[in-house]
Amino acid sequence: MFRSRLLLLVLLIGALLPLTVAAQMPDENTLIIAQSVDVGALDPASVNSRAEANIFFHVFGTLFEIGDDGALRPYLAKEYSVSEDGKEWTFTLNEGLTCHDGEPLTAEDVAYSFERAADPANAFTGNTAGFVLPGIGYQGMRVDGDLQVTVLTDRYQTPNLRLALISEVYIHCKDSYSSKSLEEAGQNPIGSGPYRFVEWIPDDRIVLEAVEGYTLRPTNFKTQIWRVIPEASTRVAELIAGNVDVIANVPPDQIEAINNSGVATVQAVAGTRRIYVGFQFGENFKDAPGYDALQKTEVRVALQYAVDVPTICQTLLGTTCKRASSMVNPPNDNPNLEPYPYDPAKAEELLDAAGYPRNADGVRFETVLMGPRGRYLNDANVVQAIAQYLTDVGVKTTVDIRDWAEYRTLVGPKEIGPLFFLGTGGGTWSALYDMADLSAPNAGTNYTNWNNEEWFKLWNSLADIRDLDQEREVINQMLEIFYNDPPWLLLYFQPDFYGVSNRLDWNARRDEWIVIYNAKLK
Amino acid sequence: MGQYIVRRLLQSVIVILGVTLLSFLTLHLAGDPTYLYVSERASQEEIEATRKLLGFDRPLPVQYLSFLQGLVRGDLGMSIRSRKPAVDLVLERLPATLELTLFAMIISTTIALPIGILAATKRGTGWDGGIMLLAMFGQSMPSFWLGIMLLLSVGLQLRLLPISGHVPVLAPMLRGDISEGLSNLPNALRYLVMPGVTIGLFSLARNARLVRSSMLEVLAQDYVTTARSKGLGERTVILKHAFRNALIPVVTMLGLEFGFLLSGVVVTETVFSWPGVGRLVTNAITQRDIPVVQASVVLFSFLFVSLNLLVDLIYAQLDPRIRLA
Repeated sequence: MFRSRLLLLVLLIGALLPLTVAAQMPDENTLIIAQSVDVGALDPASVNSRAEANIFFHVFGTLFEIGDDGALRPYLAKEYSVSEDGKEWTFTLNEGLTCHDGEPLTAEDVAYSFERAADPANAFTGNTAGFVLPGIGYQGMRVDGDLQVTVLTDRYQTPNLRLALISEVYIHCKDSYSSKSLEEAGQNPIGSGPYRFVEWIPDDRIVLEAVEGYTLRPTNFKTQIWRVIPEASTRVAELIAGNVDVIANVPPDQIEAINNSGVATVQAVAGTRRIYVGFQFGENFKDAPGYDALQKTEVRVALQYAVDVPTICQTLLGTTCKRASSMVNPPNDNPNLEPYPYDPAKAEELLDAAGYPRNADGVRFETVLMGPRGRYLNDANVVQAIAQYLTDVGVKTTVDIRDWAEYRTLVGPKEIGPLFFLGTGGGTWSALYDMADLSAPNAGTNYTNWNNEEWFKLWNSLADIRDLDQEREVINQMLEIFYNDPPWLLLYFQPDFYGVSNRLDWNARRDEWIVIYNAKLK
Repeated sequence: MGQYIVRRLLQSVIVILGVTLLSFLTLHLAGDPTYLYVSERASQEEIEATRKLLGFDRPLPVQYLSFLQGLVRGDLGMSIRSRKPAVDLVLERLPATLELTLFAMIISTTIALPIGILAATKRGTGWDGGIMLLAMFGQSMPSFWLGIMLLLSVGLQLRLLPISGHVPVLAPMLRGDISEGLSNLPNALRYLVMPGVTIGLFSLARNARLVRSSMLEVLAQDYVTTARSKGLGERTVILKHAFRNALIPVVTMLGLEFGFLLSGVVVTETVFSWPGVGRLVTNAITQRDIPVVQASVVLFSFLFVSLNLLVDLIYAQLDPRIRLA
């Protein structure tokens, strides 16, 4: 009797289990995307990370949109014009726009979206207030009519760069935000994009629903679910199980498992994040080992030949990659510059010539390479590999690896060196965006404290150049200076891996954005 | 007894203050947190403005005293990242963590007791050897590895259980929606099994060994021999006479167990995408969201200290020879 009851129970459980597992798989109206981190808040002015921006971009419209090819396309605005001095940018909105609560979206709302983010009383530290608005020299907004609004700035800026930055500001309606406290606004976003916010379960998921009748962008799936799955192996397992459609940050060692699953494939793209080893010029490192040697241009050039970047990509990043020839992403880089080849014999020859021959113990000089763990693709292992390559040519390199949370606090005040491993975000739409890292000797992102007079003279001259061909010439000239007096040991543009369900027709982008409103079933 | 409780509560306050001071110093000594709240391209002026805005420009003792003043008022500050009261964030996540911890405790205790007794009463047999061998395996397996193995085998290969995620039970109940909590329960259990086993297995194994050794010690006592010589059945001897006394060290361990399991949830919540306090704290530490870290530390310390006090009180009830003074 007992055995038969037990058997019945087991059969019952066995019959029910597949039903429940199947219930969590996405249907034809639902798209599920898994990222590793959650949003911090749902306020459009608080967006700080790419993972947050990916979700917000589907809830909020922007004036223009940065395309996957770097081109800038009209979105909420249909056109723009620029004043003669380049300081005033006037946008004309599409007619009949509304926010998700039905409120008409006009020029006044666009002005409010900028002003709210810029208001010091709101103390936003997100991308808009902390990066975009200072980046364009924001001075204020002017409403020129129901559908015309002008962004006022303090300087001329090359058009693509300014438009791309303005395209990162999320637009919303005034009434739905001005009546809310910051805490309330951070819980219930009311956007202007193709998807409306439905639910946020912190550290679990955000659910979005397509806005009916939205014509500016397609909404091929009725529901988008953005899941938070921090562990990479779990994301991969969910993808292979068919429970999610797209996952970001696939570890290189799991690419094969996904590709062999028959359920999903990995899309590898050469990302826009520049990965490099910086040579520290800051005086606070003058007593650090190797500092004096690394000040010499000849030594820095010699070390470019010492590192086999394609092999690092192949073995540690799981893909082939072309070595960077400058700090600028292709195709905006200088086409005349060839990446430094791996040639350890030449590296040794140049080091000898620079006055650093091998000592009796085979060491030319000693130095330290600092690097993070857990921020960039396989970062700690890449740092170890680079240190070994440098040691092989006689530059005995000790590694100092810190967790990213600690490393980040050292990067800001430039307390990293004498060699340090780092990656900085780049773009596909403008060379100047990538070069802005070195906008001044004391710029926050000039982590090396590099101070090449010629470079900064040319950078300042760009402010007076309106002709794009002439601008290109100066850029190429600057990149040559960078190449010949390198403040960076040039490495690669970080490859990004996305796992994509085979049921989906969607292509990953180079710039780390997951723009997925256009995804559709095959 | 009353005096004892008051003294223990006062000690608890000192413990909680010590823990908050330690975590506060650790977070600040690991670098200026301001840099985590500014853009990569922020100017020096923007960095300084943000430092002032977040209050990190004040001397550390002033910052800590300000935290203590808030603590006395029951205000643990606002999360820097999400701009919500830090304590609310922790309390929002606590039900999910409690579900996981309680489930792990239930399986570790309910299975450990019978198998521990079985191993003790069948000492030297294949039962004993088999149970102890499994217990050794259970204690040797790191939880992150076990979690991923379960996820890949049971979740992905066999498709018997969901790979990751969470269905809430306690949260709706605490909101007053008992029926939603109950209706979620069957599905929630499916999501609980793998993470629950992952964090509970180590405790299960340890408890089984503890019950076994405790039972063996008690079974060798004279009063057990007396009970047997009186002609009592073996079942009565074991369950009524031996087991109750063998429970004393086990109950002590269970009090510490809760704290141990709470610390174990950090890894397990990450592997199984469980939206609990463990992940909240991990993220808060990474982002130096100091109010959230401090709120979690205060709450966890309070829970841990309270449970230990409770265990001491139960201890006295189980063994009348023990007097709390």
